[in-house]
Amino acid sequence: MSALPEYRTRILLEHENVPLVSGVFVRPGESTPQDIPELPVFLKAQIPGATSRKSHGLVRRVDTCEELEHNLNILLSPGKWGQAEGVLITEGLDLETEYYAGCMLDFGNGDRLPGGVLLFSTEGGSGVEVRSGSLLKMRFSLLHPPATDEIEKELKVLENLKEHKAVAEFLEGMISTYIRYKLIVLEVNPLGVLKDGTVLAVDCRAEFENSAVSKSDREIFFPPEIGSSKNLTRLEEIVELINRDDPSGTGFFRQNRETPLEDSLRVATNLCGGGGKMLWEMTTGSRTDIFTMNESDTSGGLSAFKSYRILRVILAQKEAQVLLLTGSGMAFQNQYHLAAAVWKALKESPTPLPSLLRFGGTDEDKAQALFEKVSGSLPVPVRTYPPEVFPNAMVDDIMEIASVETETGKEYVPPSGEPAIIVERPPGKIYFYPEKWTGEEAPPSVKACPTGFLEWKNGKLSTNPEARCIGCLMCETASILEGTCELRVHLELPREVD
Amino acid sequence: MPGIVKYLAGVDTPETLVFGITGRQGKSKSRLMNKFGTHIIAGCTPGKGGQEVDGVPVFNSAAEAVETFPQLNTAVFFVPAGAVKKAAMDAMDAGLKFLVLTADGVPSHDEILLKEYASTKDSVYLGPNTVGLLDTEGYLFGLIGGSATWAKKNYKPGKVGVISRSGGLSQLLGAFHCRPNLPGIREDGSYGPLWGEDYPGLSAVVCVGGDPVPGISMLDAAKAFEKDPRTEIIAAYGETGTTQENDLAAAVIDGRITKPIVIFLGGKFTKAGVAQSHAGAMIRNNSETWEAKNRALLNAGITVVERPDAVFGAVRDRLKS
Repeated sequence: MSALPEYRTRILLEHENVPLVSGVFVRPGESTPQDIPELPVFLKAQIPGATSRKSHGLVRRVDTCEELEHNLNILLSPGKWGQAEGVLITEGLDLETEYYAGCMLDFGNGDRLPGGVLLFSTEGGSGVEVRSGSLLKMRFSLLHPPATDEIEKELKVLENLKEHKAVAEFLEGMISTYIRYKLIVLEVNPLGVLKDGTVLAVDCRAEFENSAVSKSDREIFFPPEIGSSKNLTRLEEIVELINRDDPSGTGFFRQNRETPLEDSLRVATNLCGGGGKMLWEMTTGSRTDIFTMNESDTSGGLSAFKSYRILRVILAQKEAQVLLLTGSGMAFQNQYHLAAAVWKALKESPTPLPSLLRFGGTDEDKAQALFEKVSGSLPVPVRTYPPEVFPNAMVDDIMEIASVETETGKEYVPPSGEPAIIVERPPGKIYFYPEKWTGEEAPPSVKACPTGFLEWKNGKLSTNPEARCIGCLMCETASILEGTCELRVHLELPREVD
Repeated sequence: MPGIVKYLAGVDTPETLVFGITGRQGKSKSRLMNKFGTHIIAGCTPGKGGQEVDGVPVFNSAAEAVETFPQLNTAVFFVPAGAVKKAAMDAMDAGLKFLVLTADGVPSHDEILLKEYASTKDSVYLGPNTVGLLDTEGYLFGLIGGSATWAKKNYKPGKVGVISRSGGLSQLLGAFHCRPNLPGIREDGSYGPLWGEDYPGLSAVVCVGGDPVPGISMLDAAKAFEKDPRTEIIAAYGETGTTQENDLAAAVIDGRITKPIVIFLGGKFTKAGVAQSHAGAMIRNNSETWEAKNRALLNAGITVVERPDAVFGAVRDRLKS
């Protein structure tokens, strides 16, 4: 869930003709606009994620032009709050009354259908949303949202509210905004009433799901000049880019922001599936001797190419001591393909980690057998587990494997020459070295291709346009295991990870 | 004998339409489903009507497909998250009774709207964010098994009905009840084979998905297993977030569910308000915590275990008692 600052929430409300206090937005580097509202005004620094602006001095009332220039300069410069997206300058109105209005989702239960909930209170001001006793709660349908008169009828129970119709019209516009942009939360606080009875939004905010933003609205929710406002770490940003380049399956990665206890064991995890994450948490949640460096979920039928890329990121976490890879049960991803990705990542990462790997699902036995063959050649110890062994048993081995002395990884050298094949999705480059295969029949790499994408015609490598590369790494795996080494796969990372 | 879809949606013999059949996943999963035994008779991709995929005719809409094949009653969706709402409403409007929505990342608004829309129609749906459903009568919808060969080998007819909010655990809870000599924790605390060659077997696996507003809930699935004569016991995976486990417990207490239930409840250390990779696992209020659910389930006499490998021994014990 992401938060939308006030100036961008105002854009959404404006689109639905919801009345707003007049205001202008100033970006860093811009000069003071000519069309600022009449003084006094409020300056509101727009900081992504900031929730208590007043306590940080990010909202300031100014009464003179000199104060305006001075405070604008301060708020537009980087400060203890970071760099503001800009400053919203709004008119300092003399409000007759202040109310609170909010929209949120009701996820329903066994007895109640889900829907939206409109919250309204005749008390405005900070903290009203938790003073539930003063709140009117009106459930509404997202499919058939309420009309003004229906809202007005609900408002009639509030004896101290005078402007029923005007407020109902305002709230209808708010609900329309909420539904149109599929927001999770939309708040107007205060909702102000002027002496002449005009109702308008004085301050507002919204929360939204990234997946709910339509293409046509991306400029509002993710302005290109702002960049990432999600407070991501460097490695998390790389995983975002990996997902952008290859959206198949799930590629979730989040680093632990907590400080590990000094003597705790730092475990990097590749937990395949949301259930896998739950299993690991159930196993280690109460243990202070194990610090989980990250959460991750690679599942949903992603390619081995993508598994490799995310593993390279997971392995790059500084101070990680062990890699633990497990799903919750049986994966849909072919486990031999996953094993090939793990093997490649452990070989090519400059910071490989001693690894505990549990494979469950199609070709789980082949996945285990692969590591029985190759683990001796890796710079780190690797232990594999069948699906019958769960994280609660794997964790018993974790201290022991962490204590094994390991070699450092070698610097990865990309394949030389020009790629023979460039795969667009999932993205990857295939290099072929004909001098290493002089046989007439197809080399091991081609024979291993499960889809028939790679072909061997007249003693040359070619591709079948009717078939596709699924990014399984079977070609490279076979060529190495057979000792012929005629083919290599190069999987670029969107940024330097190590 | 009719499969579990009979008790979920009143469908005796599923005749299936695949949305997104012309896409990469739609094509490969249709092959998996077909090979397992699912009767796929039509596909649907707007703008690609008239094409064929592996001999299956493709239509522009569900309504067109139903016009040609009025026996259609089931649909599986391999469409992007943003397209799920429209496609599912299209299928409901065309009269399809049972839908499986596999996509992850469907906006919460769309999920809520679909739930309301379905309540006005004669349709139910599984998901979103589900690996689907497998019935040992011989059909599967979605992705379960990864390959038909693997699925046929690992899911054998029997007496356990599986309900799960996790894809991986759906597959595992189903498969392990069909493994001869499965090792696990026995009654005396020792570790060893839980049964010999006479594994309990499986009636069906129903993955209700990992999202906050599931179409078919754990309770809906349990009600179906309650009616299913093959099912003697329910093995489930639940977690924090939503009130599905609480609703299930209430149904056991008031007698709507009488068959024994063993549940592995995940999320003991999940913090409130923190987003999870299963969007539905986020704790939004006190009734959605692990502690609240654990209490409710235990009060209802449901066996709650805290490790996945404890499920199978508990199932064996409950079957004996």
